[in-house]
Amino acid sequence: MTIAHHPDIATLMAFSAGTLDEAFALVISTHLAMCEGCREVVHRTDLIGGALLEAEPDTRLSAGLADRLFAALDDDVSVAQPAPARRSVPDVPVPLARLLPNGLDNIRWRFTGPGVATAELPVSKESRSRLMLMRVAAGRRVPEHGHGGNELTLILKGAYHDRFGTFAAGDLADHDEDVEHQPIAEPGEDCICLVAVDARLTFRSRLIRTLQPLFGL
Amino acid sequence: MAMYALAMTDAQIERGLGPADSEDPSSLIRRVAEERDKGALAALFKLFAPKLKTMMLRLGASDALAEDLVQETLLSVWRKAHLYSPERGAASTWIFTIARNLRIDQVRRLSNQPYQDIETLELELDAPSSFAITAQQEIVGRVKKALTALPPDQQDVVRLSFVHDLAHAEISTKLGIPLGTVKSRLRLAYDRLRPLLEDLQ
Repeated sequence: MTIAHHPDIATLMAFSAGTLDEAFALVISTHLAMCEGCREVVHRTDLIGGALLEAEPDTRLSAGLADRLFAALDDDVSVAQPAPARRSVPDVPVPLARLLPNGLDNIRWRFTGPGVATAELPVSKESRSRLMLMRVAAGRRVPEHGHGGNELTLILKGAYHDRFGTFAAGDLADHDEDVEHQPIAEPGEDCICLVAVDARLTFRSRLIRTLQPLFGL
Repeated sequence: MAMYALAMTDAQIERGLGPADSEDPSSLIRRVAEERDKGALAALFKLFAPKLKTMMLRLGASDALAEDLVQETLLSVWRKAHLYSPERGAASTWIFTIARNLRIDQVRRLSNQPYQDIETLELELDAPSSFAITAQQEIVGRVKKALTALPPDQQDVVRLSFVHDLAHAEISTKLGIPLGTVKSRLRLAYDRLRPLLEDLQ
């Protein structure tokens, strides 16, 4: 798999720092599962965190802390095992397998517009972002839209193109809020994407705007 | 200790795992993993706990919560030491990621596990680099120095992100600069650090 489009380095730094909201972190980890190059980059950005930790000044610890730690060790017999390899699900990278145990073929799609269907995926209550799957029928276009906030789109299956190029499985589109685009699915196969958004998409076209509540986007 | 030294292979000694280097944090983790050596954990505690506490306090944690998180971090080091491989990165990098994951669990209670899944996958898929362990520590030292040499506006966004746990949008609000500027400063900082970070490869 040749991956041509990767996350912005600033996004990978936020992943290392641990500040991405849940849906965004999950899209990034799914891309990492598909992209060895980005896994290497994240090793490097993790190193920035390590260097900053080493550079921190010391804060005085309360007297009993070390004792408490060693008392906890004595009570603790657990040794962490590497988490068991996840049951592999065809077409579904590991970080998504928990959410999609039945793969990409058994999703309950909701019609959201001509040629476009979405399926909301669960994230925790505190999350300020939404995670969803989007399916664009082969050859169909997603209405032109800007973004009310950041958006990450990872292609899981099929491909689409827009003014930024062609995006196929493993490719990730990392768009700022001021980007507008109109993806068109390549012919031959439906395009299925994993999408994280932190705000409602703002569709430009007036017609589409009136349809937006219906779209559920 | 002497028994351990005798049991080591020449290659291990060359790579700096000997008792003579017992203060090197990655060999301390190795001793925790292989010998369940509480002395080694105590040495790691001494090196990292006061710094971890500083980092946790910066998140706005109370003194008690900060110390709880420090203790949890060191407990994870004890439990997960055998999953650490020094070829993958310096001890401080690994400990930073453990503290970060705990912080995320504590604060956000995610229903998904994006970090754990990637860690598992890496252990399965990626060969550790053949880079010398001592070099990893040197790289951290150089990065630490380079971070202080960044222009102040870049240093600020890096620290607010990695140390103060602020999302890009929060940094933008705090500094009163556009989101795009936050991101471009982070990119510039990474470009400056990149030659040092890529020494890893």
